[in-house]
Amino acid sequence: MNEPEQAGLARLRDGWISGGAAFELAPAEWKEVAAAANPDEQERRLLAIAAQALDVALRPAAPKTLKRRPPLPALAMPMIPERLRPLLRAALKYAADARLKARVATLVASRGFVLHPMDWMPAASDQESPEVYAPWVDWQAGADGEKQSRREQLTAETWDDFYPAARRTALVDLRRTTPALARTLIETKGASESAEVRLALVELMRFGLGADDVPFLKSLSADRSGKVRELAGRLLARLGEHGNQADGGSEDPTAELAAFIEEGKSGFIRRRTTYAPMKLKSPAQQARRADLFASCYFGDLVARFGKTEPDFIGAWQFGVDDNADRFLVLMVSVSGSDAAVACLADRLVAEGGKLPLLALQLMLRLDSGRKRLLISQILNDAQNLHALNLVEGVEAGWLDWGDLAKGKTLSALRSAVSGDNSVMKRSAEQYLEAIGFLATAATAEKLIGEVVTAGLPPASPSLGLLRLNAALAENRSQSER
Amino acid sequence: MQLDLKTIEALAPDQASLSAASKLTKRSNWPRLEMNEQLGLIWGECQGSGSNPYRVAFDTGDHGYKCTCPSRKFPCKHILGLMWIGATAPASFDRVDQTPEWVNDWLGRRRKTGQQPAQSAASAEGKSIDEASRPDESAPVEDAAAAERREAAQRKRAEDTRSAVSAALDELDQWIADQLRLGLAGFVDACSERCRRIAARLVDLKATALAGRIDELPARLMALRGEEKPDAAIRELGKLVLLAKAWRATPDDPELKRLVSTSETREQVLANPDAVQVASDWEVLGEKIETRRDGLVSHATWLLDLQSPAPRFAVLLDFFPASAGRRSGAFAPGDRFKARLVFYPSRTPLRALVAERLGDAAPGAWPAFASDAGDPLAAYAAFQDGAPWLSDCPVILPAGAIALDEKDGAWWQAANDPHGIALPVEGSVNRTLLGLDLAATAALWNGARLELLASQSNMGRLDLS
Repeated sequence: MNEPEQAGLARLRDGWISGGAAFELAPAEWKEVAAAANPDEQERRLLAIAAQALDVALRPAAPKTLKRRPPLPALAMPMIPERLRPLLRAALKYAADARLKARVATLVASRGFVLHPMDWMPAASDQESPEVYAPWVDWQAGADGEKQSRREQLTAETWDDFYPAARRTALVDLRRTTPALARTLIETKGASESAEVRLALVELMRFGLGADDVPFLKSLSADRSGKVRELAGRLLARLGEHGNQADGGSEDPTAELAAFIEEGKSGFIRRRTTYAPMKLKSPAQQARRADLFASCYFGDLVARFGKTEPDFIGAWQFGVDDNADRFLVLMVSVSGSDAAVACLADRLVAEGGKLPLLALQLMLRLDSGRKRLLISQILNDAQNLHALNLVEGVEAGWLDWGDLAKGKTLSALRSAVSGDNSVMKRSAEQYLEAIGFLATAATAEKLIGEVVTAGLPPASPSLGLLRLNAALAENRSQSER
Repeated sequence: MQLDLKTIEALAPDQASLSAASKLTKRSNWPRLEMNEQLGLIWGECQGSGSNPYRVAFDTGDHGYKCTCPSRKFPCKHILGLMWIGATAPASFDRVDQTPEWVNDWLGRRRKTGQQPAQSAASAEGKSIDEASRPDESAPVEDAAAAERREAAQRKRAEDTRSAVSAALDELDQWIADQLRLGLAGFVDACSERCRRIAARLVDLKATALAGRIDELPARLMALRGEEKPDAAIRELGKLVLLAKAWRATPDDPELKRLVSTSETREQVLANPDAVQVASDWEVLGEKIETRRDGLVSHATWLLDLQSPAPRFAVLLDFFPASAGRRSGAFAPGDRFKARLVFYPSRTPLRALVAERLGDAAPGAWPAFASDAGDPLAAYAAFQDGAPWLSDCPVILPAGAIALDEKDGAWWQAANDPHGIALPVEGSVNRTLLGLDLAATAALWNGARLELLASQSNMGRLDLS
């Protein structure tokens, strides 16, 4: 379309927008086409020509400020084979929330694959998805540029070349292999970061935490951020460094907390010391005690009674006051030493009943073996299977058929799916999803057979994760990677 | 997996359904019949009266079922037909280990009780498989005089329709002139009411297809930004003028009749010797499902010919009442199949019917179509030359990427021309798409916006519809 025509079209357009005859405004060539007709027909003919001109001869003008995102980074694992994507999508669809969807991604990553980005993407704030997705987390967070952080070693020089999620992953790796180097990086580079970033960096000190970290953590007692100071204090407490040295006077919170705990004796022949929460008289006392459990360090409390952390845990009377039990476990998880956490987890699992559920608070600090033991205990007595959906930080795909078959879970699942109680059926379907994450491929395969034989419809969507689990192993054996 | 005729008899809503189902038990009605014995599922595709086959699935475990047909009988004749084949000729089903995604989708949406079917709940009273199996002996025999009378009546009806449609187009012309005289600013503001009135008049005068199109015009305008609406109104009204003129010139043209009054039946298209037929491998690019103001849902399934040297497309178009609820399509995006398609006669053949399914086609990338290096919309210009009254034109765009403007509007931008050709994309896009290199993209261009269907990318095929 030439310039006079464009100008004429613009005039026509303006004329029609406001209304009335626009024939005289048209380009000369268009007028010739439309001339030999009555006035209405002239307008219609011009309208038809204008429509074609707008359709074919004019294109929407692209803004000059169009912004492209950097390419989505390639990940270190291959994409899940195309033929498994329907099973994957079914499992993702059944997963009710972001946490359960991330669990599907964790299972798939444990078998050496990543998901297709159009099927699932980690959120920008995601810290729970497998580490292999760190480049996508950074991409989601809007990182621009061409940084290739994962291929480099994280050093003071390359610090700025890493996006936050990739840097976090690299620091965790470093803390596990050469903790001193990671500490030096956190110390030197963290000082110039904002309080929020400093807090996130210091939080990584929990990986590979050791006595060598004490001087740095003590230096943080002068940090500008109260949250950083608090976190450093807890980490020091885990290392047996009593953070709140106080005089024991009326202003000492640890002493105040100790006053809520009653020392007693038990046993006839071998008298031994016990500790139990005192009976509280008012909601105000309950609130105060909760605050004190949250703010004091376990090491300080134990020192008040002149005991070691494991001894105190051994002497604690569980079951007297459920709230106090919960607060104590939370306190140990935050500021107890590794030995205290292990001792407490062992005791809770050994006690059975409802107590193993309290150990879920310790999950992030438990080693892999204890995590498995805890889950095995939950599966064994089948009383608290709903807790399977609460476990965090546990590995995927390790539960053998023997572990599952020896407990009560299998029979509980069988009776739930074959019975008439719809609530139990729905619960059983949730447990199947949870076990779908934990099970080995062979276990997944067998479990599907068991529950289908018991009456669960073979096409039940609740079997989605189990089917994906089983198919992923089958795929690996076929060397499709 | 056990099915017996008594179960079918009990599940059937009435004797008529059983009789209809008995006619669907021929293997030739079913391009696909499959079963997964482990899951206790049977499913198939049954060629119905729609443009593409109905997808039918049945769970032999709990007698759950699903069919994509619009029937309001539950179960419909297609389900009963599938069960019937399952009971009497199970060997007709191919045994497979994997269920197709549409079956998985259905399973995922089901609220299952897990209970075994209660046989007593449905009764076989008043329904009989035996009776349904008997051949229909009561077909009336028409004598020659009656046939002549029927044909004369048909000719009369056609003549009446033509006169009515001609009058409808006169009213449309006058209405368009009125809109120009009153001003398009006012038209844009009040188009819903004004379009409704003229559409109702067009329905009265038997220009039903045209009425449906005008009824949809307000929705098309509403989807645009304020400054774009006048141009869109000019384009839409101008196309109506062109369509009216074309119909007056050749009122018997099947394409124009279809666009103005009514469409041919499936049987008429299949019997038409002039209809273009293409046997090829087809990929389902995507679906476009729209609920129209007249209460119908239009379901368009866009296909790409994988054997054609230049991009060739087909669209399977079905309509069903919105009150029938959400229906899943016969095909899922990404499906590939071999089939013979029959195209509705047209200057730019697009709308088609699946005449014959010939099995599945192998997965893979799209062929490297020879593209017009200068203009990704060259196909659109050619399309408009042939049928300037149409809007949506399928195109294959060359390598490119999706970028955002300042208002977060998405644009497709050519890969090798970052400051040149860019086309606005309708609606919002999945943000992940912004980081992917698109080797080729299939989309619908309507003169103002791209509606993305699918892409080939560095991450494989992407469903975008």
